[in-house]
Amino acid sequence: MILLAANTSSIGSEVWMAVVTCFAAIFTQNILLSYFLGMCSFISVSREVKTAVGLGAAVVFVMTATTILNWMAYWWVLVPLNLEFYKYILFIIIIAAFVQLIEMIIDRYSPALYQNLGIFLPLITVNCAILGAVLWMVIREYSLIVTVGFGFGSGVGWMMAIVAMAGIRQRIDESKIPAGLRGPGITLIIAGIMALAFVGFTGVLQ
Amino acid sequence: MKQSPQDKNLERMLRSGRLVAGGFLGTDSRSLDEIIAEDAAVLHRLGYSVSDVAARMQDLRDLARPALGTWIQADEELEVKSEDYKGIIVCPWPHEGRYEKRITTAQRLDTGQSISWSDLNIHLIRDHGFFEGRGAFFRIEPEELIKVIFKG
Amino acid sequence: MMGFIFSVLLLSGIAAGLALILVISEKVIQNYGSCKITLNKGKKELTVEGGKPLLTTLKEQKIFLPSACGGRGTCGVCKCRVLEGAGTLLPTETPYMNDKERKEGIRLACQVKVRNDMEIEIPAFLFAIQQYQAKLAAVEDLTYDMKRFRFELLEPDRMDFIAGQYVQITCPAYKKGVDEVSRAYSIASDPQDNHFVELIVRRVPNGICTTWMFDYLKAGQSVQLTGPYGEFRMSDAQAPMIFIAGGSGMAPFVSILHQMRHAGSTRKADYFFGGNSVRDLCLGQQMAEFEKAIPSFKFNPVVARPQPEDNWSGQAGLVTEAVKRQYSDLSGHEGYLCGSPGMIDASIKVLVGLGMPQDKVYYDKFA
Repeated sequence: MILLAANTSSIGSEVWMAVVTCFAAIFTQNILLSYFLGMCSFISVSREVKTAVGLGAAVVFVMTATTILNWMAYWWVLVPLNLEFYKYILFIIIIAAFVQLIEMIIDRYSPALYQNLGIFLPLITVNCAILGAVLWMVIREYSLIVTVGFGFGSGVGWMMAIVAMAGIRQRIDESKIPAGLRGPGITLIIAGIMALAFVGFTGVLQ
Repeated sequence: MKQSPQDKNLERMLRSGRLVAGGFLGTDSRSLDEIIAEDAAVLHRLGYSVSDVAARMQDLRDLARPALGTWIQADEELEVKSEDYKGIIVCPWPHEGRYEKRITTAQRLDTGQSISWSDLNIHLIRDHGFFEGRGAFFRIEPEELIKVIFKG
Repeated sequence: MMGFIFSVLLLSGIAAGLALILVISEKVIQNYGSCKITLNKGKKELTVEGGKPLLTTLKEQKIFLPSACGGRGTCGVCKCRVLEGAGTLLPTETPYMNDKERKEGIRLACQVKVRNDMEIEIPAFLFAIQQYQAKLAAVEDLTYDMKRFRFELLEPDRMDFIAGQYVQITCPAYKKGVDEVSRAYSIASDPQDNHFVELIVRRVPNGICTTWMFDYLKAGQSVQLTGPYGEFRMSDAQAPMIFIAGGSGMAPFVSILHQMRHAGSTRKADYFFGGNSVRDLCLGQQMAEFEKAIPSFKFNPVVARPQPEDNWSGQAGLVTEAVKRQYSDLSGHEGYLCGSPGMIDASIKVLVGLGMPQDKVYYDKFA
């Protein structure tokens, strides 16, 4: 199921499309479990639910915000100037600058939020899921409103996957796992099984 | 591999010499996870759990404490003593854990083998499965520990 | 060609623009301006530059809160009460606070950043604490693992302390794998000899600071001390006293005995010194001099395991047993203890068991 941002006339159907895209990004096209983007932090930072929630929330926020920013940069700057081939560099620069700025602001105005969420921001500057979502939004030619839904949905999907994984890993912590499979090994296997389960959502959204 | 900020802080703390001279990881180049996993595998092979080992270490310490630093017989083949030093030492993990500087030494009378551990070691083993890195002053080799503190 | 140059310039321009935004916002956002810290309801007011942790900020203002871990939020020693301006409790602080402390506004000074005007409360004695430059004047071996260090105070050149208080010494990063730490030791010298400070130190296996003092610190070398800290001292009462201490726990009592000698005190004081073996005993001669100068003072060394070759004629067994042998009723006495937690816990049990009120047992636990 691919939703193309056709030039739909009414705002109402745009919003509806955004909602559908959001759900699709969470379930049927989960950026982590269907496309395996952002695996590195998914595997290494999924040991505790608490940490996973913090990182997940940071990803939701950054993904939503940067897809919007980059949408603007792409459609309003690069496309009119015929410089689409610069998109990779520009996207990365914008993501990095935005994350830096947000980190400073949170540190200044909300120390408690900084401790819970802000410390994860540097970690996701270089998270490929963020860049992946941005590139997808460009390739699929989403409109701005749909992009909001897509960015948010992708973030939530990623967060859901990492929190679920952390929950599972906390439960298997005490289990006897063959030595060679401890840590990343068993995590990859679990991720595979989770991905299989998500295949079950295919066809839910038509 | 990426580490969560908390794990990064922890590993930096363990490697630094801010809490104990030489740090908790000594000259060990393995990551914290590897050290813990390999020691757990050794214990598993020998048929003990970290809680068995920590409980025995704690029991021996409690037995030796009233003797205020003199040797005391634990069983027919094992004697222990527990000495207090000035100061406290904190657990490097991010929770409140303050331990008195108390060093318990167990010595087998039959083989002459002996091993020493601090109160912090007991906590590190019981709650974090951590026997410290090779080359650290208070590194405890699980295999040797078991040979000394358990009979047979 | 022009298009190419233009596109490169455009991209560089965007990057530079973003960098500029970051630099400017860092200047704007990270600038906390000057903040006012009100201490103990107006007893003192400080104007400081914001943005740093409270602990470091106070240190720069010459107010030295004790801290064992050096500001990493792992020891929980730098607790102080913040009445206003600290914001909500941080996740890094919550593990160290119980409900009562939370309600009272107790915070970890190393975790709270100075972001705005603050109102805090600290124990009054902390105001008197100063940082001293000193140099090691002499070292004396007391036993196989104990030494007495005598420091000459240079800047400032005198410390007014009460017998029983302690100082913190800053141990530098003297070798690879060791970071700067500070450690507390009781003062073991005459309060009237106030240009000098003496410490009695027992070597700790692999100890950061004691290894430095024993193996690296040489006479003439300069060191940094802060102090005097602590509330351990002789009471104003006239009740007879029992001192119990072993090893380096002797330090505060040496100081207290100097003070008694100067005051011409006739207060009864019985000192039980516990050692594992005869080689742990020390300062016998100085104690004999105190016994001569203070007629009401008596020194009782007790050895737990005397060996036959020691020819030990004094008391044997645990120090607590010696107290029990000598006294049957301690309800009118005061107890003063200094040493390891194990020794102190055992002594408190014995003293209270002999009728001493719990609040008349004063102790200084090694910590």
